[in-house]
Amino acid sequence: MRKWAIISIVTISAATIIAVIISEHRSTLPGRRPANPFAYDVDEFRSVDQELIRWRETGQVQLDREAPRAMAYAAGKIYLASGNELQVIGSDWSRMLSKTLPAEPTCLTADEDGWIVVGMGNRLAILDSEGETAAVSETLTEETNITSVAILGDQIYAADATGRRVLIFNRELEQTGEFRGDSGVSEVHGFIVPGAHFALAVNSEDELWITNPGIHALQNYTASGRLRSYIQRTSFGIDGFSGCCNPVHFTFLPDGKFVTSEKGIIRIKVIIGTGDVESVVAPSELFREGTRAPAVAVDDNGNVLALDFDRNMIRIFEPI
Amino acid sequence: MERKKTKSRREFINSSMRFGMVLALGGVGGLAFRKSTGDQWVWQVDPFKCSWCGRCATHCVLNPSAVKCVHAYELCGYCDLCGGYLIPGHSDRSTAAENQLCPTAAIERKFIEEPYYEYKINEDLCIGCAKCAEGCSAFGNGSLHLQIMHHICVNCNECAIARVCPSDAIKRVKGSDPYLMKGDFTADGGET
Repeated sequence: MRKWAIISIVTISAATIIAVIISEHRSTLPGRRPANPFAYDVDEFRSVDQELIRWRETGQVQLDREAPRAMAYAAGKIYLASGNELQVIGSDWSRMLSKTLPAEPTCLTADEDGWIVVGMGNRLAILDSEGETAAVSETLTEETNITSVAILGDQIYAADATGRRVLIFNRELEQTGEFRGDSGVSEVHGFIVPGAHFALAVNSEDELWITNPGIHALQNYTASGRLRSYIQRTSFGIDGFSGCCNPVHFTFLPDGKFVTSEKGIIRIKVIIGTGDVESVVAPSELFREGTRAPAVAVDDNGNVLALDFDRNMIRIFEPI
Repeated sequence: MERKKTKSRREFINSSMRFGMVLALGGVGGLAFRKSTGDQWVWQVDPFKCSWCGRCATHCVLNPSAVKCVHAYELCGYCDLCGGYLIPGHSDRSTAAENQLCPTAAIERKFIEEPYYEYKINEDLCIGCAKCAEGCSAFGNGSLHLQIMHHICVNCNECAIARVCPSDAIKRVKGSDPYLMKGDFTADGGET
Protein backbone atom coordinates (compact mmCIF):
# COMPACT_ATOMS: atom_id res chain seq x y z
CA MET A 1 0.00 0.00 0.00
CA ARG A 2 1.27 3.39 -0.86
CA LYS A 3 2.32 5.80 1.82
CA TRP A 4 -0.36 8.38 0.97
CA ALA A 5 -3.09 5.75 1.35
CA ILE A 6 -1.90 4.81 4.86
CA ILE A 7 -1.72 8.47 5.86
CA SER A 8 -5.24 9.07 4.52
CA ILE A 9 -6.72 6.10 6.42
CA VAL A 10 -5.01 7.09 9.68
CA THR A 11 -6.11 10.73 9.26
CA ILE A 12 -9.74 9.80 8.52
CA SER A 13 -9.82 7.36 11.45
CA ALA A 14 -8.36 9.95 13.84
CA ALA A 15 -10.81 12.60 12.63
CA THR A 16 -13.75 10.20 13.09
CA ILE A 17 -12.66 9.29 16.63
CA ILE A 18 -12.20 12.96 17.57
CA ALA A 19 -15.61 13.85 16.09
CA VAL A 20 -17.32 11.07 18.08
CA ILE A 21 -15.60 12.14 21.32
CA ILE A 22 -16.50 15.81 20.79
CA SER A 23 -20.14 15.06 19.89
CA GLU A 24 -20.52 12.77 22.92
CA HIS A 25 -19.02 15.43 25.18
CA ARG A 26 -21.16 18.20 23.75
CA SER A 27 -24.33 16.11 24.06
CA THR A 28 -23.94 15.99 27.85
CA LEU A 29 -23.42 19.71 28.29
CA PRO A 30 -26.24 21.63 29.98
CA GLY A 31 -28.55 23.09 27.38
CA ARG A 32 -27.47 20.54 24.76
CA ARG A 33 -29.00 17.51 26.39
CA PRO A 34 -31.73 15.82 24.40
CA ALA A 35 -35.22 16.41 25.74
CA ASN A 36 -36.35 13.91 28.34
CA PRO A 37 -38.98 11.74 26.66
CA PHE A 38 -40.31 10.79 30.10
CA ALA A 39 -40.49 14.29 31.61
CA TYR A 40 -43.15 14.89 34.25
CA ASP A 41 -44.84 17.87 32.69
CA VAL A 42 -47.04 20.23 34.69
CA ASP A 43 -46.24 23.37 32.68
CA GLU A 44 -49.80 23.72 31.44
CA PHE A 45 -50.94 24.15 35.05
CA ARG A 46 -48.34 26.79 35.90
CA SER A 47 -49.81 29.52 33.78
CA VAL A 48 -52.00 31.99 35.65
CA ASP A 49 -54.49 34.51 34.30
CA GLN A 50 -52.65 37.84 34.66
CA GLU A 51 -55.90 39.41 35.89
CA LEU A 52 -55.62 37.23 39.00
CA ILE A 53 -52.14 38.47 39.92
CA ARG A 54 -53.04 41.42 42.10
CA TRP A 55 -49.87 41.49 44.19
CA ARG A 56 -46.37 42.59 43.35
CA GLU A 57 -43.07 41.77 44.95
CA THR A 58 -41.70 44.94 46.53
CA GLY A 59 -38.79 43.70 48.56
CA GLN A 60 -36.38 40.89 49.31
CA VAL A 61 -34.45 40.69 52.55
CA GLN A 62 -31.49 38.33 52.44
CA LEU A 63 -31.08 36.54 55.77
CA ASP A 64 -27.68 36.53 57.43
CA ARG A 65 -28.22 33.15 59.08
CA GLU A 66 -28.27 29.86 57.19
CA ALA A 67 -30.88 27.09 57.36
CA PRO A 68 -34.16 29.00 57.71
CA ARG A 69 -36.79 26.86 59.40
CA ALA A 70 -39.89 28.84 60.33
CA MET A 71 -41.36 32.34 60.42
CA ALA A 72 -44.21 34.12 62.21
CA TYR A 73 -45.42 37.70 62.54
CA ALA A 74 -47.11 39.42 65.48
CA ALA A 75 -47.43 43.01 66.69
CA GLY A 76 -44.91 44.55 64.33
CA LYS A 77 -42.23 41.91 64.79
CA ILE A 78 -41.00 39.06 62.65
CA TYR A 79 -40.14 35.88 64.51
CA LEU A 80 -37.65 33.81 62.60
CA ALA A 81 -36.00 30.47 63.31
CA SER A 82 -32.76 29.65 61.50
CA GLY A 83 -30.67 26.66 62.47
CA ASN A 84 -30.94 26.47 66.27
CA GLU A 85 -31.42 30.19 66.64
CA LEU A 86 -34.56 32.20 67.29
CA GLN A 87 -34.48 35.82 66.14
CA VAL A 88 -36.94 38.62 66.69
CA ILE A 89 -36.71 41.26 63.95
CA GLY A 90 -38.24 44.72 64.19
CA SER A 91 -40.17 46.61 61.55
CA ASP A 92 -36.92 48.34 60.47
CA TRP A 93 -35.35 44.88 59.98
CA SER A 94 -33.02 45.34 62.96
CA ARG A 95 -32.41 42.30 65.14
CA MET A 96 -34.11 42.86 68.49
CA LEU A 97 -33.42 39.48 70.04
CA SER A 98 -31.33 36.41 69.36
CA LYS A 99 -31.69 33.23 71.36
CA THR A 100 -30.10 29.83 70.92
CA LEU A 101 -32.63 27.05 71.31
CA PRO A 102 -31.86 23.62 72.80
CA ALA A 103 -32.97 21.84 69.62
CA GLU A 104 -33.77 22.59 66.00
CA PRO A 105 -37.09 24.41 65.80
CA THR A 106 -39.66 23.02 63.40
CA CYS A 107 -42.27 25.77 63.79
CA LEU A 108 -43.12 28.82 65.87
CA THR A 109 -45.79 31.39 66.58
CA ALA A 110 -46.16 34.48 68.77
CA ASP A 111 -48.99 36.53 70.23
CA GLU A 112 -49.60 40.25 70.65
CA ASP A 113 -47.99 40.23 74.12
CA GLY A 114 -44.73 38.86 72.82
CA TRP A 115 -45.11 35.29 74.06
CA ILE A 116 -43.39 32.91 71.70
CA VAL A 117 -44.25 29.23 71.26
CA VAL A 118 -41.62 27.12 69.56
CA GLY A 119 -42.11 23.55 68.34
CA MET A 120 -38.97 21.42 68.27
CA GLY A 121 -39.96 18.08 66.77
CA ASN A 122 -41.39 16.21 69.71
CA ARG A 123 -41.51 18.99 72.32
CA LEU A 124 -42.63 22.56 72.80
CA ALA A 125 -41.29 25.57 74.64
CA ILE A 126 -42.81 28.92 75.58
CA LEU A 127 -40.50 31.93 75.73
CA ASP A 128 -41.31 35.39 77.02
CA SER A 129 -40.65 38.57 75.04
CA GLU A 130 -37.07 38.65 76.41
CA GLY A 131 -36.41 35.15 75.14
CA GLU A 132 -36.43 33.56 78.59
CA THR A 133 -37.94 30.09 78.76
CA ALA A 134 -41.25 30.15 80.61
CA ALA A 135 -42.37 26.57 80.09
CA VAL A 136 -41.21 23.40 78.39
CA SER A 137 -43.39 20.43 77.53
CA GLU A 138 -42.43 16.88 78.32
CA THR A 139 -40.74 15.09 75.45
CA LEU A 140 -43.42 13.32 73.46
CA THR A 141 -42.98 10.05 71.60
CA GLU A 142 -40.02 9.79 69.25
CA GLU A 143 -42.34 9.64 66.22
CA THR A 144 -44.05 12.95 67.10
CA ASN A 145 -43.24 15.68 64.60
CA ILE A 146 -44.80 19.03 65.48
CA THR A 147 -44.81 21.15 62.34
CA SER A 148 -47.18 23.98 63.29
CA VAL A 149 -48.30 25.71 66.47
CA ALA A 150 -50.98 28.28 67.29
CA ILE A 151 -52.19 30.14 70.37
CA LEU A 152 -55.92 30.36 71.10
CA GLY A 153 -56.77 31.97 74.44
CA ASP A 154 -55.12 29.95 77.17
CA GLN A 155 -54.51 26.97 74.95
CA ILE A 156 -51.69 26.01 72.64
CA TYR A 157 -52.48 23.85 69.60
CA ALA A 158 -49.74 21.79 68.00
CA ALA A 159 -50.07 19.85 64.72
CA ASP A 160 -48.29 16.48 64.77
CA ALA A 161 -47.69 15.51 61.13
CA THR A 162 -46.57 11.95 61.84
CA GLY A 163 -49.37 11.19 64.29
CA ARG A 164 -52.01 12.95 62.13
CA ARG A 165 -53.37 14.63 65.24
CA VAL A 166 -53.62 17.99 66.92
CA LEU A 167 -52.34 18.18 70.49
CA ILE A 168 -53.79 20.67 72.98
CA PHE A 169 -51.65 22.13 75.77
CA ASN A 170 -52.26 24.68 78.50
CA ARG A 171 -49.92 27.63 79.05
CA GLU A 172 -47.76 25.48 81.33
CA LEU A 173 -47.40 23.14 78.34
CA GLU A 174 -49.18 20.29 80.02
CA GLN A 175 -51.08 18.28 77.45
CA THR A 176 -54.81 18.54 78.04
CA GLY A 177 -56.17 16.83 74.98
CA GLU A 178 -55.83 15.85 71.36
CA PHE A 179 -58.08 15.23 68.37
CA ARG A 180 -57.72 13.59 64.98
CA GLY A 181 -60.35 15.42 62.99
CA ASP A 182 -62.86 12.57 63.01
CA SER A 183 -66.20 14.19 62.26
CA GLY A 184 -68.51 11.22 62.01
CA VAL A 185 -69.58 12.49 58.60
CA SER A 186 -68.77 9.92 55.95
CA GLU A 187 -67.57 12.32 53.28
CA VAL A 188 -65.26 14.20 55.63
CA HIS A 189 -62.40 11.99 56.76
CA GLY A 190 -60.21 12.71 59.77
CA PHE A 191 -56.78 14.23 59.24
CA ILE A 192 -54.91 12.64 56.33
CA VAL A 193 -51.33 13.87 56.33
CA PRO A 194 -49.35 12.08 53.62
CA GLY A 195 -46.51 14.61 53.66
CA ALA A 196 -44.13 15.90 56.24
CA HIS A 197 -46.07 19.08 57.00
CA PHE A 198 -49.34 19.64 58.83
CA ALA A 199 -50.44 23.22 59.47
CA LEU A 200 -52.87 25.10 61.67
CA ALA A 201 -53.54 28.77 62.47
CA VAL A 202 -55.94 30.98 64.40
CA ASN A 203 -57.54 34.00 62.73
CA SER A 204 -58.53 37.35 64.23
CA GLU A 205 -61.98 35.96 65.06
CA ASP A 206 -60.35 33.29 67.24
CA GLU A 207 -61.28 30.56 64.80
CA LEU A 208 -58.99 27.54 64.68
CA TRP A 209 -58.31 26.42 61.11
CA ILE A 210 -56.37 23.26 60.26
CA THR A 211 -55.23 21.85 56.93
CA ASN A 212 -56.32 18.40 55.85
CA PRO A 213 -53.82 18.04 53.02
CA GLY A 214 -54.85 14.51 52.06
CA ILE A 215 -58.22 15.84 50.89
CA HIS A 216 -57.05 19.36 49.88
CA ALA A 217 -59.10 20.99 52.62
CA LEU A 218 -58.93 23.74 55.18
CA GLN A 219 -61.09 22.84 58.16
CA ASN A 220 -62.47 24.94 60.99
CA TYR A 221 -62.60 23.31 64.43
CA THR A 222 -63.97 24.41 67.78
CA ALA A 223 -61.51 24.83 70.64
CA SER A 224 -62.35 21.32 71.79
CA GLY A 225 -61.68 19.80 68.37
CA ARG A 226 -65.15 19.46 66.85
CA LEU A 227 -65.38 20.05 63.10
CA ARG A 228 -67.43 23.16 62.36
CA SER A 229 -66.95 23.83 58.64
CA TYR A 230 -64.52 23.24 55.83
CA ILE A 231 -63.54 24.28 52.34
CA GLN A 232 -62.15 21.73 49.91
CA ARG A 233 -60.88 22.18 46.37
CA THR A 234 -58.93 19.68 44.27
CA SER A 235 -57.43 20.88 41.01
CA PHE A 236 -54.05 21.10 39.35
CA GLY A 237 -55.11 24.52 38.13
CA ILE A 238 -54.99 27.71 40.15
CA ASP A 239 -58.53 27.14 41.42
CA GLY A 240 -57.60 24.33 43.80
CA PHE A 241 -54.91 22.30 45.49
CA SER A 242 -53.01 19.46 43.85
CA GLY A 243 -50.79 16.53 44.75
CA CYS A 244 -50.95 14.76 48.07
CA CYS A 245 -49.82 17.42 50.48
CA ASN A 246 -51.36 20.81 49.78
CA PRO A 247 -51.79 23.40 51.10
CA VAL A 248 -48.51 23.24 53.00
CA HIS A 249 -48.62 26.57 54.86
CA PHE A 250 -51.37 29.12 55.38
CA THR A 251 -52.14 32.29 57.29
CA PHE A 252 -54.78 35.01 57.25
CA LEU A 253 -55.12 38.51 55.86
CA PRO A 254 -56.51 41.12 58.28
CA ASP A 255 -59.97 40.67 56.70
CA GLY A 256 -59.90 36.91 57.35
CA LYS A 257 -59.12 35.67 53.85
CA PHE A 258 -56.70 32.76 53.61
CA VAL A 259 -53.19 33.08 52.22
CA THR A 260 -52.05 29.62 51.14
CA SER A 261 -48.66 28.30 50.05
CA GLU A 262 -48.32 25.15 47.93
CA LYS A 263 -45.58 22.70 46.95
CA GLY A 264 -45.16 20.90 43.62
CA ILE A 265 -46.42 23.84 41.60
CA ILE A 266 -45.10 26.38 44.08
CA ARG A 267 -47.46 29.33 44.39
CA ILE A 268 -49.06 31.63 46.94
CA LYS A 269 -52.67 32.70 46.57
CA VAL A 270 -55.55 34.31 48.46
CA ILE A 271 -58.68 32.26 49.05
CA ILE A 272 -62.04 33.51 50.30
CA GLY A 273 -64.39 31.68 52.66
CA THR A 274 -66.18 29.79 49.88
CA GLY A 275 -62.92 28.25 48.73
CA ASP A 276 -62.73 30.33 45.57
CA VAL A 277 -59.43 31.95 44.62
CA GLU A 278 -59.58 35.73 44.93
CA SER A 279 -56.08 36.56 43.74
CA VAL A 280 -52.60 35.20 43.19
CA VAL A 281 -49.85 36.63 45.38
CA ALA A 282 -46.95 34.83 43.74
CA PRO A 283 -47.18 32.52 40.71
CA SER A 284 -44.87 29.53 40.35
CA GLU A 285 -42.53 31.36 37.96
CA LEU A 286 -41.20 33.35 40.95
CA PHE A 287 -39.82 30.22 42.59
CA ARG A 288 -37.22 27.70 41.55
CA GLU A 289 -38.72 24.38 40.50
CA GLY A 290 -38.33 21.54 42.96
CA THR A 291 -37.89 23.70 46.04
CA ARG A 292 -39.97 23.86 49.22
CA ALA A 293 -43.23 25.74 49.58
CA PRO A 294 -42.46 29.07 51.26
CA ALA A 295 -43.73 29.73 54.78
CA VAL A 296 -46.13 32.69 54.84
CA ALA A 297 -47.04 35.44 57.29
CA VAL A 298 -48.97 38.70 56.99
CA ASP A 299 -47.74 41.97 58.50
CA ASP A 300 -49.78 44.79 60.06
CA ASN A 301 -50.13 46.51 56.69
CA GLY A 302 -51.64 43.43 55.07
CA ASN A 303 -48.49 42.63 53.10
CA VAL A 304 -47.59 38.99 52.60
CA LEU A 305 -44.16 37.87 53.83
CA ALA A 306 -42.86 34.70 52.23
CA LEU A 307 -39.91 32.82 53.70
CA ASP A 308 -38.10 31.47 50.65
CA PHE A 309 -36.17 28.48 52.03
CA ASP A 310 -34.27 27.98 48.77
CA ARG A 311 -32.92 31.52 48.47
CA ASN A 312 -32.69 32.11 52.25
CA MET A 313 -34.65 35.35 52.12
CA ILE A 314 -37.89 36.94 53.15
CA ARG A 315 -39.82 38.18 50.12
CA ILE A 316 -42.39 40.93 50.55
CA PHE A 317 -45.55 41.10 48.45
CA GLU A 318 -47.89 44.10 48.51
CA PRO A 319 -51.37 44.36 47.00
CA ILE A 320 -51.48 46.35 43.76
CA MET B 1 41.19 -15.08 37.70
CA GLU B 2 37.67 -16.44 37.18
CA ARG B 3 36.01 -15.17 34.12
CA LYS B 4 32.47 -13.83 34.55
CA LYS B 5 29.94 -16.18 32.96
CA THR B 6 27.91 -14.48 30.26
CA LYS B 7 24.44 -15.61 29.10
CA SER B 8 23.73 -16.27 25.54
CA ARG B 9 20.85 -14.49 23.83
CA ARG B 10 18.78 -17.70 23.83
CA GLU B 11 19.31 -18.23 27.59
CA PHE B 12 18.37 -14.62 28.28
CA ILE B 13 15.10 -14.88 26.31
CA ASN B 14 14.24 -18.19 27.99
CA SER B 15 14.77 -16.88 31.50
CA SER B 16 12.86 -13.68 30.69
CA MET B 17 9.93 -15.72 29.38
CA ARG B 18 9.91 -17.88 32.53
CA PHE B 19 10.06 -14.82 34.74
CA GLY B 20 7.25 -13.14 32.80
CA MET B 21 5.02 -16.22 32.99
CA VAL B 22 5.56 -16.57 36.75
CA LEU B 23 4.77 -12.88 37.16
CA ALA B 24 1.59 -13.13 35.06
CA LEU B 25 0.46 -16.28 36.88
CA GLY B 26 1.08 -14.61 40.24
CA GLY B 27 -0.82 -11.52 39.12
CA VAL B 28 -3.83 -13.48 37.89
CA GLY B 29 -3.82 -15.59 41.05
CA GLY B 30 -3.59 -12.49 43.21
CA LEU B 31 -6.47 -10.82 41.39
CA ALA B 32 -8.59 -13.96 41.64
CA PHE B 33 -7.82 -14.24 45.37
CA ARG B 34 -8.67 -10.57 45.92
CA LYS B 35 -11.91 -10.90 44.01
CA SER B 36 -12.97 -13.97 45.97
CA THR B 37 -12.13 -12.53 49.38
CA GLY B 38 -12.44 -8.76 48.98
CA ASP B 39 -15.41 -6.44 48.51
CA GLN B 40 -16.94 -6.19 45.06
CA TRP B 41 -17.91 -2.73 43.95
CA VAL B 42 -21.33 -2.16 42.42
CA TRP B 43 -23.19 0.77 40.92
CA GLN B 44 -25.93 2.56 42.87
CA VAL B 45 -28.06 5.67 42.42
CA ASP B 46 -27.88 8.36 45.08
CA PRO B 47 -31.62 9.17 45.26
CA PHE B 48 -30.96 12.57 46.79
CA LYS B 49 -28.90 13.64 43.77
CA CYS B 50 -31.13 12.15 41.07
CA SER B 51 -32.77 14.78 38.86
CA TRP B 52 -35.12 12.36 37.03
CA CYS B 53 -33.57 13.12 33.61
CA GLY B 54 -34.80 9.88 32.02
CA ARG B 55 -31.32 8.72 30.98
CA CYS B 56 -31.39 5.67 33.23
CA ALA B 57 -34.06 4.33 30.86
CA THR B 58 -32.29 5.26 27.64
CA HIS B 59 -28.56 4.82 28.33
CA CYS B 60 -28.23 1.51 30.22
CA VAL B 61 -26.54 -1.21 28.15
CA LEU B 62 -29.45 -3.46 29.07
CA ASN B 63 -32.91 -3.12 27.60
CA PRO B 64 -34.99 -2.66 29.67
CA SER B 65 -32.65 -0.85 32.00
CA ALA B 66 -31.19 -2.36 35.17
CA VAL B 67 -32.40 0.77 36.93
CA LYS B 68 -35.82 0.30 38.48
CA CYS B 69 -38.13 2.32 40.62
CA VAL B 70 -38.13 1.25 44.28
CA HIS B 71 -40.51 2.29 47.01
CA ALA B 72 -39.41 3.49 50.44
CA TYR B 73 -42.59 2.38 52.19
CA GLU B 74 -41.64 4.10 55.46
CA LEU B 75 -41.88 7.49 53.77
CA CYS B 76 -45.02 6.86 51.74
CA GLY B 77 -48.25 8.58 52.72
CA TYR B 78 -50.34 5.74 51.22
CA CYS B 79 -52.76 8.32 49.86
CA ASP B 80 -55.27 7.90 47.06
CA LEU B 81 -54.02 11.00 45.20
CA CYS B 82 -50.44 9.82 44.68
CA GLY B 83 -48.44 12.20 42.49
CA GLY B 84 -46.28 9.29 41.35
CA TYR B 85 -49.23 7.18 40.25
CA LEU B 86 -51.72 9.63 38.72
CA ILE B 87 -51.08 11.88 35.74
CA PRO B 88 -51.27 15.64 36.36
CA GLY B 89 -54.81 16.78 35.68
CA HIS B 90 -56.27 13.27 36.03
CA SER B 91 -60.02 13.07 35.56
CA ASP B 92 -60.50 10.86 38.61
CA ARG B 93 -58.41 8.75 40.96
CA SER B 94 -59.26 5.37 39.51
CA THR B 95 -56.78 2.83 38.14
CA ALA B 96 -57.99 3.45 34.58
CA ALA B 97 -55.11 3.50 32.09
CA GLU B 98 -55.72 7.11 31.14
CA ASN B 99 -55.16 8.18 34.76
CA GLN B 100 -51.88 6.35 35.22
CA LEU B 101 -48.62 8.26 34.98
CA CYS B 102 -46.34 5.25 34.42
CA PRO B 103 -45.86 4.63 30.68
CA THR B 104 -45.70 0.86 31.25
CA ALA B 105 -48.27 0.57 34.06
CA ALA B 106 -45.55 -0.80 36.32
CA ILE B 107 -47.06 0.62 39.52
CA GLU B 108 -49.68 -1.60 41.07
CA ARG B 109 -52.14 0.05 43.43
CA LYS B 110 -53.76 -1.96 46.19
CA PHE B 111 -56.54 -0.77 48.50
CA ILE B 112 -55.64 -0.99 52.19
CA GLU B 113 -58.43 0.87 53.98
CA GLU B 114 -60.33 4.04 53.24
CA PRO B 115 -58.63 6.24 52.03
CA TYR B 116 -55.24 4.50 52.00
CA TYR B 117 -53.58 2.62 49.15
CA GLU B 118 -50.31 0.75 48.80
CA TYR B 119 -48.18 1.27 45.68
CA LYS B 120 -45.97 -1.61 44.56
CA ILE B 121 -43.53 -1.66 41.65
CA ASN B 122 -43.70 -4.46 39.11
CA GLU B 123 -39.99 -4.81 38.39
CA ASP B 124 -40.54 -6.71 35.15
CA LEU B 125 -42.49 -3.81 33.67
CA CYS B 126 -40.48 -0.90 35.10
CA ILE B 127 -38.09 0.71 32.61
CA GLY B 128 -36.49 3.14 35.08
CA CYS B 129 -37.78 6.30 33.40
CA ALA B 130 -38.19 8.15 36.75
CA LYS B 131 -41.47 9.76 35.72
CA CYS B 132 -43.15 8.49 38.89
CA ALA B 133 -40.17 9.46 41.03
CA GLU B 134 -40.36 13.03 39.75
CA GLY B 135 -44.11 13.26 40.38
CA CYS B 136 -43.71 11.76 43.84
CA SER B 137 -40.90 14.15 44.74
CA ALA B 138 -42.69 17.23 43.41
CA PHE B 139 -46.02 16.64 45.10
CA GLY B 140 -45.35 13.97 47.70
CA ASN B 141 -42.58 12.74 49.97
CA GLY B 142 -40.24 11.34 47.33
CA SER B 143 -40.79 7.79 48.55
CA LEU B 144 -40.64 6.50 44.96
CA HIS B 145 -37.08 6.70 43.66
CA LEU B 146 -34.73 4.93 41.30
CA GLN B 147 -32.15 2.30 42.16
CA ILE B 148 -29.82 0.00 40.25
CA MET B 149 -30.79 -3.60 40.87
CA HIS B 150 -27.78 -5.81 41.65
CA HIS B 151 -29.38 -8.93 40.26
CA ILE B 152 -29.95 -7.30 36.86
CA CYS B 153 -26.97 -4.94 36.52
CA VAL B 154 -24.03 -6.45 34.62
CA ASN B 155 -21.69 -4.17 36.56
CA CYS B 156 -19.89 -2.60 33.60
CA ASN B 157 -16.47 -1.29 34.39
CA GLU B 158 -17.68 2.12 33.28
CA CYS B 159 -21.42 2.54 33.75
CA ALA B 160 -22.98 3.94 30.56
CA ILE B 161 -25.54 5.87 32.63
CA ALA B 162 -22.93 7.32 34.99
CA ARG B 163 -21.16 8.82 31.96
CA VAL B 164 -24.21 10.86 30.99
CA CYS B 165 -25.87 11.44 34.37
CA PRO B 166 -26.25 15.24 34.62
CA SER B 167 -26.37 15.25 38.40
CA ASP B 168 -23.53 12.85 39.15
CA ALA B 169 -25.97 10.58 40.96
CA ILE B 170 -24.50 7.22 39.89
CA LYS B 171 -21.68 6.03 42.09
CA ARG B 172 -19.86 2.87 43.06
CA VAL B 173 -20.50 1.41 46.49
CA LYS B 174 -19.23 -1.73 48.17
CA GLY B 175 -21.17 -4.79 47.11
CA SER B 176 -21.62 -5.72 50.74
CA ASP B 177 -23.51 -2.47 51.34
CA PRO B 178 -27.28 -2.66 51.13
CA TYR B 179 -29.23 -0.78 48.51
CA LEU B 180 -29.28 2.98 49.03
CA MET B 181 -32.90 3.46 50.04
CA LYS B 182 -34.44 6.71 51.17
CA GLY B 183 -35.26 6.55 54.85
CA ASP B 184 -32.24 4.36 55.58
CA PHE B 185 -29.74 7.14 54.98
CA THR B 186 -29.86 10.89 54.72
CA ALA B 187 -28.61 13.42 52.22
CA ASP B 188 -25.82 15.80 53.13
CA GLY B 189 -28.39 18.34 54.23
CA GLY B 190 -30.00 15.87 56.57
CA GLU B 191 -33.05 15.31 54.40
CA THR B 192 -34.47 11.82 54.82
